[in-house]
Amino acid sequence: MGKSVAEELREAVLEFDEEKAAKAAQKWLESKSDPYRAITEVLTPAIQEMGERFERGEAFLPELIMATDAMNAAVKILEKEISKEQMERMKKGRLIIGTVKGDIHNIGKNIVSIMLMTAGYDVIDLGVDVEPSKFVEEAERSGSQMILASALMTFTALNMKKIVEYLEMEGLRKKYKIIFGGGPLTETWAKEMGADGYAPDALRAVELINRMMGS
Amino acid sequence: MAGVSNGVNKEELSMLQFWEVANRAINTGSLMRMKDFDMKIFKVTTRLVKEYGITFDPKIPIPSDNDLVDRLFEAGLKLYAEVGTYCIDTERVIRFSEEEIREALRELQAMPDEIDIGEGMERRRLFKRRVEDPRKPLVIGGVVEDSPREGRDFVQLYKSIAQERIIDGIYYGPPPASIEGKSWTIASPLDCHAARSAVSWMREAIRSVGRPGLHLLDACPSALGTISACFPENGLRKTDAVTLATVSEIKTNFELLNKVAYTLHYGCMRSPFWTSIVGGFGGGPEGSALVSIADALNAVMVYYVGGAGYVMVSSILQNPPINTARQTIWVRNVSLQSLARNTNLICGGGGLTSGGPGTEHQLWEIAALGLHTSVAGGHIIHGARKAKLVKPNQGTGMEPRWEGETARASAGLSRADVNELINFILTKYESKIAPEVAPEGFSFGELYDYEEVRVKPHYFELYLKVKNELARKGLKFD
Repeated sequence: MGKSVAEELREAVLEFDEEKAAKAAQKWLESKSDPYRAITEVLTPAIQEMGERFERGEAFLPELIMATDAMNAAVKILEKEISKEQMERMKKGRLIIGTVKGDIHNIGKNIVSIMLMTAGYDVIDLGVDVEPSKFVEEAERSGSQMILASALMTFTALNMKKIVEYLEMEGLRKKYKIIFGGGPLTETWAKEMGADGYAPDALRAVELINRMMGS
Repeated sequence: MAGVSNGVNKEELSMLQFWEVANRAINTGSLMRMKDFDMKIFKVTTRLVKEYGITFDPKIPIPSDNDLVDRLFEAGLKLYAEVGTYCIDTERVIRFSEEEIREALRELQAMPDEIDIGEGMERRRLFKRRVEDPRKPLVIGGVVEDSPREGRDFVQLYKSIAQERIIDGIYYGPPPASIEGKSWTIASPLDCHAARSAVSWMREAIRSVGRPGLHLLDACPSALGTISACFPENGLRKTDAVTLATVSEIKTNFELLNKVAYTLHYGCMRSPFWTSIVGGFGGGPEGSALVSIADALNAVMVYYVGGAGYVMVSSILQNPPINTARQTIWVRNVSLQSLARNTNLICGGGGLTSGGPGTEHQLWEIAALGLHTSVAGGHIIHGARKAKLVKPNQGTGMEPRWEGETARASAGLSRADVNELINFILTKYESKIAPEVAPEGFSFGELYDYEEVRVKPHYFELYLKVKNELARKGLKFD
């Protein structure tokens, strides 16, 4: 039974079916199988497969989002039977992401956010037009290790620098790694504004963060 | 229908007033999370693409299938009626019934399909073009977006565009990234100063080449900037236009709605533009084309462009964000054809290229943009520029000139002829569009004599090489 439920779980993610994912997760629990293994051995490889399809241009952003939603529906049920320690161990790290103050473009930021989730990170997405102070406050509140900020326009990218300044003002700069990305940015400019890293696209953002987090 | 007028007899019209549109954005539209709106676009688009049999054939980037482009328009209209426009500031959806949209389109048909742009000796009649229209398109060309430096650099660069006789208007903006040596952010006092300074430098540039009445299309990102730039003496006049960006996909915000409200009072033209993303919330090229039509209807319903301006249609890949990939050429081309056959909108396209100025790679990309935009019924609006600028002042007058020349040469050709040309041109650059392999190109100072504002021989020879190769393919230039 475990094997067939595993297949159902995998299919639910690849077919973006939240209801099927929740039902399969419930069945998994009823079969007394280890819920930790459902996440690490079934759901995570399935969502990574979706991420690879997206990178190859075989899946679209909304499909990636729906697959993530399906996975989360299953995890929500499975996590009831998993200890907090095990849940924390599963995550590679916790990150804050958002589009900076004055900028309302969200698609690039969404792609990075979803790709990081599929790579195993706990991502807190603050949305668009985010005040510098909110990046910092949310990072503090959630216990995140890294802050990622995005901007599509030159004159909004300047607000990235304010995140660094705000962290410095609070005496928190050394506590967080900061990554900047977005259309007008270059690595040089990102570093000039005080970032620890820069990524030109989602794939390289994941690679960079994996390196910086040591995973 | 073809009468030239700045106004319409309002008594005859029953189209919703903008103030009711604003009311829906502020007070009465349904509340919705942005993520839910995005996902709804994908679900409805996916369904409609199947229902209306919209298909992309990579071998035919320029289709000649009228039935396909008409089905696309109907599907796009259904999409817009179902999803509406999302207002980011209020998290409300501005919805219109299908009947309201169709009524607005009927009223659009009754409005002038020509408008006068610019003034004095530089006054031009911008008209609605048709698919395979033999009439030559106009060129409202520009280059760089936010990288030109302030002051003299800005003036010299835009002089290089204004001095090209093929240019009928100039797209410029956003303003330089710094003003008085200070970086500025949106909707700040320095935004106001930068916007007002930029338009004054534009006036200096066009005056200095003896074309003071040249039409200007301003691209200030904020309403504050736009309002600051609108002043008849040395800024934007009623014969000029302001851009209204549509946030991808089918979204607006108060900055944009404030621009509409202000320009309705001021009386200058509006030029909405949008960029549907292949691989974004519309899905693949087919869904992205549907979103593009919905964006056009947003321009009619929310941005009030009918009889009061012109639109720029754009589509980019999710990565790299360029207009010159095979899929995005198809999306823009079928969208333009669809709008030319089914609406009274004056349309056009510019272009984001993978290569930078001064490279053969970019000249081929620009040729593809000019040719396919024109045959689909478009004018050149915005001009071509490198998608990701890597140095300041990265653009010259040669790029809009070349885009205009290819667009004019395309007028009167059949779509099948242009399809063949585009497939040939794609072989020149298609395999090298990724950012790590596309040539970054050069800055204004590397390509032009800065003081004389004259193109350097090596760039001109490169341009002639590409032009001659296209002439040998049968393209007839002016």
